[in-house]
Order: sequence, then structure tokens, then C-alpha cells
Amino acid sequence: MPKDVATIDPITLQVIRGSIETIAEEMAHVLFRMSFSSIIRESEDLGAGLFDTEFNTLCESESTPMHIGSIPGYLHGIQDTLDDGEWYEGDVVVHNHPYHGSSHTPDLAIVIPIFHKGELVGYSANTAHHIDIGAATPGLIIDVPDVYAEGMLFAGTKLYRKGKRNETMWRFIRNNSRAARQLVDDIEAQISSARLGVKRFNELLDQYGKELVFGACNQLMDYSEKMLRQRIADIPDGEYRAEGWLDDDGRNRGQQLPVKVCVRVSGDSITVDLTGSAPQTPTAYNVPFEGSTKVAAFAAFRKLLLDTATSDTRVPSNQGSFRPIEVIAPKGSIFNPISPAAAEARFTQCNYMIDLIMKAMAPVLPEEIIAGSSASISFASYAGVRESGDYWVFLEVNEGAYGGRPKSDGPDAIDNLMANTRNNPLEDLAMHIPMVCERYELRDDVMPGAGKYRGGIGVVKAQRMLTDGIITHESERHSNVPWGIFGGTEGAAGKCDIYNVGSNEAPEVMHSKFHGKEVRKDDVMAYYSPCGGGYGSPLERAPNKVLDDVLDGFCSPEHARDVYGLVFDLEAETVDLAATQKRRKEMATAS
Amino acid sequence: MARIGVDVGGTNTDLVLECSKGTFFHKVPSTITDQSIAVVDGIHQICDIAGIAKEDIEVINHGTTVATNITIEHNGAEVGMLTSRGFRDILHIGRHKRPHNFSLHFDVPWQSHPLVKRRNRIPITGRILPPTGEVETPLNEDEIREACALFRKRDIKSVCVGFMFSFLNDEHEKRAGEIVQEEMPDVYLSLSSQVANVIREYERFSTVAMNAFVGPQSALYLRNLEQKVRDGGIPAKLRVIQSNGGISTIDGCAKKPVGILMSGPAGGVLGALSEARLAGTTNILTVDIGGTSADISTIAGGELRIKNPRDTLVSGHAVMAPMIDLETIGAGGGSIAFLDEAGGFNVGPRSAGSEPGPSCYGRGGCEPTVTDAQVVLGRMDADKFLGGDLPLDSALSHKAIKEHIADPLGISVTDAALGIIKIVNNNMALTIRSNSVARGYDPREFSLMPFGGAGPFHGVALAELVSARDILVPIAPGITAAMGLLGSDLQYEHTRSVITNLFTADQAALDKANGVVAELTDCGRLDLDADEIPEDLQNFEVIAEMRYHGQGFELRVPMPKGGLTLDNKADVINAFHAAHKQDYGYSFDDALVELYNVRVIATAKARHLELAKLPKGASNDVENAFMYERLTVFDDGQSHVTPRLDRGKLGAGTRVEGPAIIIQHNSTTLVPPGYSAVVQDYGSLRLTKI
Repeated sequence: MPKDVATIDPITLQVIRGSIETIAEEMAHVLFRMSFSSIIRESEDLGAGLFDTEFNTLCESESTPMHIGSIPGYLHGIQDTLDDGEWYEGDVVVHNHPYHGSSHTPDLAIVIPIFHKGELVGYSANTAHHIDIGAATPGLIIDVPDVYAEGMLFAGTKLYRKGKRNETMWRFIRNNSRAARQLVDDIEAQISSARLGVKRFNELLDQYGKELVFGACNQLMDYSEKMLRQRIADIPDGEYRAEGWLDDDGRNRGQQLPVKVCVRVSGDSITVDLTGSAPQTPTAYNVPFEGSTKVAAFAAFRKLLLDTATSDTRVPSNQGSFRPIEVIAPKGSIFNPISPAAAEARFTQCNYMIDLIMKAMAPVLPEEIIAGSSASISFASYAGVRESGDYWVFLEVNEGAYGGRPKSDGPDAIDNLMANTRNNPLEDLAMHIPMVCERYELRDDVMPGAGKYRGGIGVVKAQRMLTDGIITHESERHSNVPWGIFGGTEGAAGKCDIYNVGSNEAPEVMHSKFHGKEVRKDDVMAYYSPCGGGYGSPLERAPNKVLDDVLDGFCSPEHARDVYGLVFDLEAETVDLAATQKRRKEMATAS
Repeated sequence: MARIGVDVGGTNTDLVLECSKGTFFHKVPSTITDQSIAVVDGIHQICDIAGIAKEDIEVINHGTTVATNITIEHNGAEVGMLTSRGFRDILHIGRHKRPHNFSLHFDVPWQSHPLVKRRNRIPITGRILPPTGEVETPLNEDEIREACALFRKRDIKSVCVGFMFSFLNDEHEKRAGEIVQEEMPDVYLSLSSQVANVIREYERFSTVAMNAFVGPQSALYLRNLEQKVRDGGIPAKLRVIQSNGGISTIDGCAKKPVGILMSGPAGGVLGALSEARLAGTTNILTVDIGGTSADISTIAGGELRIKNPRDTLVSGHAVMAPMIDLETIGAGGGSIAFLDEAGGFNVGPRSAGSEPGPSCYGRGGCEPTVTDAQVVLGRMDADKFLGGDLPLDSALSHKAIKEHIADPLGISVTDAALGIIKIVNNNMALTIRSNSVARGYDPREFSLMPFGGAGPFHGVALAELVSARDILVPIAPGITAAMGLLGSDLQYEHTRSVITNLFTADQAALDKANGVVAELTDCGRLDLDADEIPEDLQNFEVIAEMRYHGQGFELRVPMPKGGLTLDNKADVINAFHAAHKQDYGYSFDDALVELYNVRVIATAKARHLELAKLPKGASNDVENAFMYERLTVFDDGQSHVTPRLDRGKLGAGTRVEGPAIIIQHNSTTLVPPGYSAVVQDYGSLRLTKI
């Protein structure tokens, strides 16, 4: 690769940057517009981009962060496993093996080599979450013995070889999924998207020449790296630690799993050391190291140090932003499992790790970090069998809430940290799947963490089955409440109930992770996501904001009086500022 | 017979009058508290200028920012909402996706600036069930009356209704609406099934809530304007330009102001398009710089781009209404320059507007603005602004920049003024790039068209920043949007979800879809009838929005004339496969194809503005156009004694070399050293690097 071409003028650099970013966005656009399963088309649980022959990310679509940065891992894995041992023009590869670099098995990557004038110059690739790849149970899995229960494993598998379709492989795939039609059609959508990337990148190479384009890409990677290193250099050198607990592994109830984070800052580099975290679990509750653990650690520092909402310059999304960060997780641990451990349910551990990184950095980055967030996910698979004998499978990502922030409240009911999907419109869902939503609102059974800036409020989503079926649910933080910080109070834990609309029986209280739960017609799963912790003392919260929260039902009148020291007239909807000030002084003295 | 286009901006109200005597331009300061005052005054004045009687005006086409400004300033109506029990927070949750992937400090506009506060979103018992739309639980009418009592207590004047699955069955929404009208006779009422009768609850609720938020003030303004026009003895038909570039009636817009959120900017894009055509250019980056904001759009191949309704956001809120694809940023002549707490040097988005206006207006504004910077740099001649109609006080500009920027930063007033210009230009350039480069257009193949009164000050700097090929300055940059208003056609869109599997559909199912088309066509016909458009001039475009069963996004295919039949449905299906292949490079030939929405666009061609070619220039045009010369500072910080030329005296083909300032009544074009300006056949100026 020509690395040392003369510095490229800023206009050309800007144009090439815009062009490759546009290609990535266009690839993602085709993928979600064209696809069939709601997890791709509505939730946009996907990633797409261009990569050089050394597997560096040149650009990636702004889709969900868990996908961003994961594709280099896939490319390394394909290198080791590729059919024929080499790439041909017209090849299309599918890959998802978690011990060969994938993020987790349902996220299939489609990779097409980019040949320019007969020479391999890079790859066009995307990843997307598929609803069923023939695992032990429909959709998601947790309590399974090993990676072979996760479904079809693809490693460097060619779906097209030299432009010729490998019909045997396609028939095999079709025969091994409960949602074969959607799986196969969504793979076709991925191929269309990757082909578009090849076409567009070739056009760019034709227009500007290979030297110039790759020279610009290298310059952009160096730029991203430099930006991140500058911010790291501003942090005092040292070791910053935090630890917490995960609920359980989805099988061994009551056995919490430790997560330990040590952030070592040295000059303009960072090491995230996860040593001391739980050993790998006997279920699928493990995190593939290359495709997920590292990706989450990279993302944590992009959020923390290159915040796109507060910085004036937008740093390009490429390999450069990964380089300053090293990640250590001992082999055989929950963040670096050894084959054949299953490793499909890996999201909540990643999010929790990021939350702990914030906590660890609080002493030195008080104006950048935020209080404890929901830092989990609610990932549910609902499935059943239609009268025709065909399966239906629906995957749903439920949102969480952020912790209070140095200058503003934690956002309510929104995808948290590594997650950033879109919800599935309930009206669209009900037109396609034998389910109907009973309730989708902010939680009103608990208060979010109080503070000068309060924590975000989680949601309650109650989904009702209209046929018998099976539910698997991956979530966290039923026992570990998001923390408050700098005087803010803690938020609220998550919970999940199952009940039947026609029955008077008490709801069944569910664990945060459960697998393959058989449910009946009219059973409802009600999920309550955790609420964020507060930032700063509640007594410093602007009185009118507390009143607003009371009127809007975000805060009970008692909570406003007892925790925020607010004196107010609910009927007149007014605050007594003088009395509030006096009461707050008394409360401050008393504590 | 005469036609008037009148465009209200944040600072000025622009007018164009076309009649048998020719085309006339005029500009008056906007009256922000009541835009209609300046509109009516301007109409009277331009009639006097043209020397025609008010009775001769046939049509007045109006572009307004009333609705847009409400969304920018978050000062719409306090809205009450009736929604389905169990779904009170759909508007608060949105699509639960953050606006930023990599941020902890992001803003969530639908939560920080809700269209309806949670306290005023009242859940009502009653349930429509999918997929048939049957009523499972009847509507609880007592709850609605209680909610109305609360709304009255809170002095709420605008109420919207958004129930789940109302796109399948609107009877609960209609009944709720009736009760609200009984309980609150003067209420401004919006029903989701009437404002945006399509599937997807958040987008539909957000659209109806936006309608309720901007509705009362917009309707009041439009009706008030209509009254004032009548009272002024003007018999003309009054029309409003919509966000999609079509025009509609006062009544239609007052009921559905969600369709005019981009009214003002749409006129600008239409005007730019017609100017570009006259100059023989099809690829343009339009930058419409007003007092408060700049509107940026890309026209490629001479075609307007309409946003996919799934992608249309207004101030961060989903609004499912057809809109020209453009972006607005808070950067204009009135944008205020300030130093933030951390010492950061910012320009905008806060604006001094026209009241009080920039410091140099001497109306009490004392913060420095972009206009003040232009005055300080000697680009705007204080004594000649608007042809001397509105003299400016340059000492006030100097003072404002010195006190607020130069002294705190310890730099000269000239450097501070240059900094203001540089920052505002950079802000605009970023948005131009995101609207062009970031969408795969190479700006080097585009001409940048700066307009709005202040636009041509920034043209060359912006073109350099984004690497545009050249700069095309329209004939009357200050009034381009108003001219666009005379280049628009009547256009009404009606759409409805009618989910039909085309493979299994029998004639009865097809007839149901045909019935919806007929109803929507009738709606469009009523609109055009109300405009007194004769039947033979009415056009109806019927579009099927289709997808493969299970997909989430639709593609557009024309509906067959005479409706769907068992015979022609295969043609429609094949047309969809072809469209899918065209857009995505692949078609699923054996997948089920479904019709999702039908859309009827009713149009009637209006007469477009006709302009005469400019006479050929003479060799001494530049000499004759010379007015005076003064010291002017350019963006590179260099000062030059720069001639002021009267644009009206420059004939076609005349070439002016920079440094020069070309002045006309409503605008000033800056030609920096190293650039030349050539007058085009119809009077626009093309600026290129020498």
C-alpha cells in the first residue's frame, strides 16, 4: 500500500472523505431499505463499510455502534479460513464464526473483494443481525452448552465463487433456518449493499487514482488517531479502576459475575485491562474478544473523548480511532472465552464494561463522564408456529436510559451506549406478526436517580402473544442498580414479568436472562428497563425543573418534597421559591 | 392582469410584481410581530411603483416563515393531546435512537423541546385492533370530557388526537374530535388520521402534534392576512407556497400548516431553479442567506429533490409531509457573534432579526452581527443601504464588535470582523458539503448560487470553501425566493395506507384500493375546484407506494390509468420489480408484492414568470456603471480601494474584474481580487477565478 505519498491538499482530502463516507451510508441505506426482517429494516442493527487489504477500516456507516469497528475482526478471521485459500474477482463470502473474529454468530458478514484493474485493493463488507440461523431455539439463545448450539457457523464460506453462485450452499442455508425466506432474502440485501460498495469505490479509484485515494484514506486514519491521542494526553497518567457485578449467566441463578475494569493511561495511549473479571461461563453469556470486547472498549473512548455533540470537529470513523487503545482480557475469561464456549449473548457485558469505564474515569474526567446508565439491553426473541407450519420469529431491542450528566438530565427511554437501534413501529409489527402491544410508556413504578441533573427514565414495554410460542430474553441489572455520582442518588433496577391477560394469577417474576420460555396465547411479557442514576446533589436542582417533573409525572410530589426539598402548590402548579430555599438549607444541614 | 409574489423572511419582505408593464421588484422590512402588516404595505407600494390599480392583481402567491419560525424558536401553542391508554409516551420515546452514536452529552430534541408536554398528553380508554381495525374496547367519552376540563383549566387552545391504529379505523379519532369541539368550541383541532393517515404511530403522532403546535398561530396569521388584503381593497386570490414547492389556498394551509413548514425556503429553491435554467446551468448548490438563517439545497440535473417522507425532520421532530430536500442553519446577516463562557468565538444561531436588527440599524440592537462585520469591512456602504432608504450607522457596528469581540480577544476590530465572516462562512460550508459532497455530488461540477440580500457577499468565499466550479448570482438576489413564487404550480397531495397483497388480491380487493384512489382524487379535485381551475387544466398523478411483503420501505410506481384490474396488476408488479432493481441493484422476483400507500398529486400549471433578455453591453458599460470608490477589506485581510458599480447599467456580456462591488437596490455582490464577473444573457452574473 502506498503509504508515503505527498500530503494531499485539504480540498481533495475533504472530497475523498465525503465520498467514502457517502459510500458507506449508501451501502447501509440499501441494506436497511431492501431487507425484510424488522431487526434490520426498522432497527437498523447493521454496519457497512470499506476496508483496505490490511483490514483497516477506511469508512463505516453511522449505524449501530456495536457493528462499527467489528468488521476488521471478521476480515482477519476470513483470512485464516477462506475457501480456496485465496480471493477471486466475483467472490462473495459469508462469515460469522465467533472464534474467527465475528462479533457474534447471528451477525453475518458479507464480504466482497474489491479488484481494481485486476488487483485486489480492498474489501466492501457489511454485517447485519439475522433473526434465525438455526440455533437450538428460535431467535436468541442463552442457556446452551457450546458454540455448536448457536446454529450455522460460516468461516470464509464462498456464496459466489468467481461470480458463480454456489447453489449447494444457498440450499443448505435455506434448509437450516426457521425463517429461511427472511434469512436468504436479507443475505441478498447484504450482497446488493456490498456490491454497491465495490462499484462506487471502483468509480472513485477510476476518478482519482489508487495512489491518491489510499493516500487520502491513510491521512484520514492518521488524523483520527492524532485527534484521539491528543485528548488522551490531556488525562493525567495513572490507573483508574472500577468494578461491579452482573446478575448471573442465565443458568446458575444467584451467582453474580464480577466485572473489573482497570484503565491505564500512559502518555497518549490507553490500556483497558479486564483482568479479574469472571471466568468464562458455561452458557452463551460470553463475549467474543476480537469482534465485541475490543469494539466496546474502542467505542467507550470515542464517546468519552471525541463526543460528536460537543466537539466542533467531526473525527472520521475509521481505524485510526482504534489504534491508541489496547485491550487486555485473559483467555478463558468472560471477555475472552475459549472455544467451544458459546458466546452469542454478549451485549450487556459490553455495555456494563463501558459504564464501569465511565465510573473509573470519574475522578479525572468529572465534566465528561456521566452517572450510571441502564447499561444493559433488553433483547427479546418471540417466536411461534403459524397454522401453515412455518415459524414466525420476531426480535426486539428495548431501550434503556442514561445517567444524569454534568450539564443536563440523562435522556429517557433511549438506546444506551453501544446500542443505537430504532424501535419497531408497533403498528407495523401488528400487521405482520401475531403479537400486539399492550403498553409502551415511561416507567411510573419507580423514580430515576435524583440529582442536580436527574437520571433518565426507563420504559415499560408489554408485548402480548396472540398464539402459543417461545420467548428468550437477554437483559441485565435486575440486581445492580445504576449508580448516582457526585451526590446524585442511584437509579432503579430493571425487571420483567410474564402474565396472562385472561388470568388473575400473580405475574411470574422473570430473571434478567431466560431462555426458551414456552408461553401461551395471551401471555404478556412486560419489561421494565433500568433508570439512570443522578449527577450532583438533588438540592441543587433548579426548583422549576423539579416542579415540571412533578407535573409531568416524572417525579412524585413526595419525592419532590423529601429528596429535592421542593415546597410547592400542586393545584396552582407553582413553586414557593423562598420556602424551598429555606427547606433545602435545613436538609443540607441535617445531612 | 397582474401577479404578485411576496416572500417574508426574518428580516425583509420581498415582492415581485409581473404585469403587462413588465416585472417589478420591491423590498420592505418585515414586521415580525405581525408579518401581514409588511405584506400588505409592500403590496400597496409595489402597485404604486408599477403604476397599476390594486384591482388588477389577479393572484398573490405568498411564501411565509410563520410556521418555520415557531419550530425554530419553540414558541408554538401549548398543546393538549388525547392518545391511547398505555401509549402516552410515544412522542417522548420517538424511535428510541439517539441523534449521535458517539456522544454522552447529546441533546434529544423530542425530549428537551416536546411538542406536547407529558402533563398534557392524556391517555384515553378505547382500542382498535389490528389487522382489521375492529373496535375491541369502546371509546371512553367521559375521560375525553375530563381531559377537556383539564385543558380548559390550563388555558390550552390547541388539541390533537392520536390513537393507535387509527390508520385502519378513524372512528375513535373522529368521535373524540367531536367531543373536543363540543367541550372547547374555539379549539384548534388536529386529528392524526386527517393530518397524516399512514401507518407508524410515532411518525403519525409527531406529525399531528406538530400541526397542533404550529397551527393556531399559523392559522391566525393566514386568516388575518387574508382579511387585511380584502380590507385593503385587493380582490386577488391569495395562495401560499407549500414545502413541496406547490401552492395551496389559505384555507387548506390554515387547517394543515404542517404542509408549509418549509414554505419560505421552497420559494428560494424554485427561484434558484428558474434562474439556473435561464443561465443554462443545471447543477447548482443554492444558498439562500437571509437575516436569521441560511437555506441550503442541491439541484442536480435541473431537478428538485423531494425528501422521502420517512426522512423528514423539522427541528428534530418527525413530520410526514412532502418537502423539498433542503437544510436550514442559523446563519444569516443578523446572526449574532459572541464569545461563550469558555472563550469560544461563535456566530449564530441566535439572530437579531429585523427587530432590533443589527447594531448598525440603530434600533437598539447592541450585539455585533454578520451585517455589522460587513459594514466594518467597508463592504456595505452605510449611507447607501437599500439605495439610501435605510441609512446604517457604521459607528454602532464598530462599537459592538469592539466591545463584544475585539477587546475581549485583544485583536483589532478589522480582525474581529474578518473572524465573524470566516466563522459564519465555515458554518454554511459544512452544511453545503453535507447536502452535496456527503450525498455523492462532486461540488466541482456545480455552480454555487448565493442569494437572499446578503448572499452575494458570501458567494466567492463559500464557493472556495466547498470547491464549487463557479458562482452564479441571480438577477435580483434579494428577491429570488419571491420570483420563485411566480414559477410554481398548484399542487395538492393526498395519501392513505391501503395495504393490499397484489398477488392474492381479487377484483374486490383491487376495487377497494381503486375506491381509495377515487376518494383521494375527489379531495384533490375539490382543492383545484376551489381554486377555480377548469376541469381540462386539472391533472392528477396517481402513485402506488409499494414494497415486497415484509419490507419496511416503499418505492413509487405509477398507478395504471383507469385503476387496478386483474389484467393489469401483473404490469404494476413488474414495474415494481424494475424500480427495485433500479434503486437497489436487485429484485426478488418470486417475493410477494404489496401495495402500501396510494398518493394522489393534483396539479394545475400556473403561468411562469417570463423575463426578457438583457440588451448587449457596450464597451464602456463598466465606466458608465461606476458610482464611487471606497476602501474595502477582503477575506484575505487585504484592503483595496474598490469601485462601486451600478448593476443596472451593466449589459449582457460585460466583464468586471475584481476588486469590485456591484450594487443593486436589494443586494450587493462582492467581486474579490482575482475574480471576474460576467453578465449573462438574462442578467445573472457568473463569477469565476481569473
